[in-house]
Amino acid sequence: MNAILALAFKDLRLLMRDKVGFFFTFVFPIGYASLFGVIMSGMSGGSESTGGIPVVVVDDDQTDGSAAFIEELVASKEFEIQKSTLDDAGNLVRKGNVLAYIIFPKGFGQARERIFGRIAPRIEIGVDPSRQAEVAMLEGLLTAKLYERVQEAFTNPEVIAKQVDESLANLAGEEDVAPVTRAALMTFLPALKIFSKAMADDDSSGGMSNAIQAANIDVVSVARNETEKLNVYAITFPQGIIWGVMGCTAAFGISLVVERTKGTLLRLQMAPLNRTHVLGGKALACFLTTVTVATVLILFGIVVFKIQPNSYAKLAMGILAVSLAFVGIMMLLSVAGKTEQSAGGIGWAVMMVMAMIGGGMMPLQFLPQFMQDIGSISPVKWSILAIEGATWRNFSYVEMALPCCVLLGIGIVCFTLGARAFKWSS
Amino acid sequence: MLTLSNLKKSFGTIAAVDHLSLEIPKGEVFGLLGPNGAGKSTTVNLAVGLIVPDSGNVSIDGSGSPVDVSVRRKIGVAPQSLAIYEEMSGRENVTFFARLQGLRGRELKKSVDWAMEFVGLADRQHDRSNKYSGGMKRRLNLAVAIAHKPLLLLLDEPTVGVDPQSRNAIFDRILMLREEGCTIVYTTHYMEEAQRLCDRVGIIDGGRLLALDAVESLIAKHGGKRMVIAQTNGKRVEVACDDPLAELQRMQSEGELETFHVERPSLESVFLGLTGRSLRDE
Ligand SMILES: Nc1ncnc2c1ncn2[C@@H]1O[C@H](COP(=O)(O)OP(=O)(O)O)[C@@H](O)[C@H]1O
Ligand SMILES: [Mg+2]
Repeated sequence: MNAILALAFKDLRLLMRDKVGFFFTFVFPIGYASLFGVIMSGMSGGSESTGGIPVVVVDDDQTDGSAAFIEELVASKEFEIQKSTLDDAGNLVRKGNVLAYIIFPKGFGQARERIFGRIAPRIEIGVDPSRQAEVAMLEGLLTAKLYERVQEAFTNPEVIAKQVDESLANLAGEEDVAPVTRAALMTFLPALKIFSKAMADDDSSGGMSNAIQAANIDVVSVARNETEKLNVYAITFPQGIIWGVMGCTAAFGISLVVERTKGTLLRLQMAPLNRTHVLGGKALACFLTTVTVATVLILFGIVVFKIQPNSYAKLAMGILAVSLAFVGIMMLLSVAGKTEQSAGGIGWAVMMVMAMIGGGMMPLQFLPQFMQDIGSISPVKWSILAIEGATWRNFSYVEMALPCCVLLGIGIVCFTLGARAFKWSS
Repeated sequence: MLTLSNLKKSFGTIAAVDHLSLEIPKGEVFGLLGPNGAGKSTTVNLAVGLIVPDSGNVSIDGSGSPVDVSVRRKIGVAPQSLAIYEEMSGRENVTFFARLQGLRGRELKKSVDWAMEFVGLADRQHDRSNKYSGGMKRRLNLAVAIAHKPLLLLLDEPTVGVDPQSRNAIFDRILMLREEGCTIVYTTHYMEEAQRLCDRVGIIDGGRLLALDAVESLIAKHGGKRMVIAQTNGKRVEVACDDPLAELQRMQSEGELETFHVERPSLESVFLGLTGRSLRDE
């Protein structure tokens, strides 16, 4: 064990002195995650999805009002609605099957009937924050749907008159209304009644619906408040971690080849060591480095970008699994090339492809379905899932087990193959 | 200390080492002399178990095979191609490899101090080794080989590309190590080195051991006659003879002997006598 530690310590020392290696394992991933975080948080709307947005709805209200609204959503081509229970809804989102869940809480139907109630229809939207662009669109569409009703009402002065009267009656019955608000509503609502009548009579004004446009935007913000505030850095940092880990993997894979070409491997062979020591030392150094890189990166994200992991224990579990997988991959890479250049080339080519199909460059959710399916062969996909599961997908331990076990399997298979192929001299 | 019996190793069709047998006793400095490609490095690699012979046998310190971990601790090797971590300092290199040899704590520190001092790198030991000159790197390569005080030390062309000063320093160290009872195998294609350092020399060419003996005996056996080189009557003459003094007297009787010197046959002439080729042409 002493020899393995000495070997690992030597490798860590060499890595620290390798400025390019340091750049690719720490600086580049942090830069990547930060930059793409900034870009993604600036992104809004613009999803070109052809089908409807996949959404799961939960009707907690169970009133005619809520049922009617859900039917409207089902009928509209903008959405692809799936009905479900609360528990399943969360899972569907976390697993990425749907973009969001929408919960219509108790009182939704009633609130919706009362346009001037001070309680806006409270809808809870739970989203997959990695799909920010689509989420913005979802909010817009949902708001529009909610307001179709309002618009409809406003074009009809009789509906307005009825609503105003009802609201005034309710207002009289409510006690905990601030005097200022009460006074405002008492003047505004009767005035609105007169106003809507006048607008409807005047053909040139285009009716009340034009006048209400500004109000639409307010309601969007009401809906937004109900949406969990999402942190795009929670998406870009897992990706950054993967880049850092891949940087380590490449660096250590190449380092074994360099030892071969520089002749230091011969010295190791002549020392009272066996291959277990040498490969073990390499693996240990690689493992310690990937764990460190992943930890430093996620801490950076937590401290600087306020990422709030769901569970630190699961995060540790994810990071360990990712590190073990990539230690195995490192082992396999280290026997792939004969020269430093060929090993480096092969290493980065493999990493690039793995990253590309595994969602390391562009979150998988943005890619077409078949690409997402192909991604399952990439350790990068499972790595991202393992880390995201602990940072924002809120995976249970059972859910964490799938990516972690896949990663462990990848690690063991690659390590075994690599270690078997390892020869002292080429 | 080191016994090679009937070793054979081929790379493809090239017989790099061809039925080679050697017996090197404890405390000897043994020279393996031959031109490039003669099979010296292959012999060294076979001796330390880096490569497996096609046939034949290696035994170290009685009966140990060099592949045995316990036997490896007794061996130190300075490979022909430098084997050091360039990004680490000289001291870090020596410390690392000495630790792999099982040294720990105070013993480790003492051994590293000794080795750095021994090769004359103590004042530069904390510099990165990629900042060292070629000669310093060679000396570091040597320091790594000796830090764990091996009983058997194999030096594969330790003076290639080394400045004369470093070279002399290395020679001194080797002779000091012999004083301490270390058995040394020294390969070279410089016959002066073999002649100066080695108790016995084996001459190798094409993977075969052509001759093996003390330098004087080799010269006596294969070196041919001594040469008298003289200037007589304004003419330069070279005469090979058994008795130079008689030859000089003969010359003086025939005319004016202006200048003269006598050349003893060297290992160079031994090699020439054995192979018909010159060692230096390679
Ligand atoms: N790994 C190898 N693969 C193929 N040929 C080799 C290898 N090592 C040595 N040889 C060949 O074996 C012969 C002896 O080489 P070597 O032992 O290095 O000679 P020396 O050290 O005396 O210069 C040479 O012809 C060389 O080309
Ligand atoms: Mg050689």
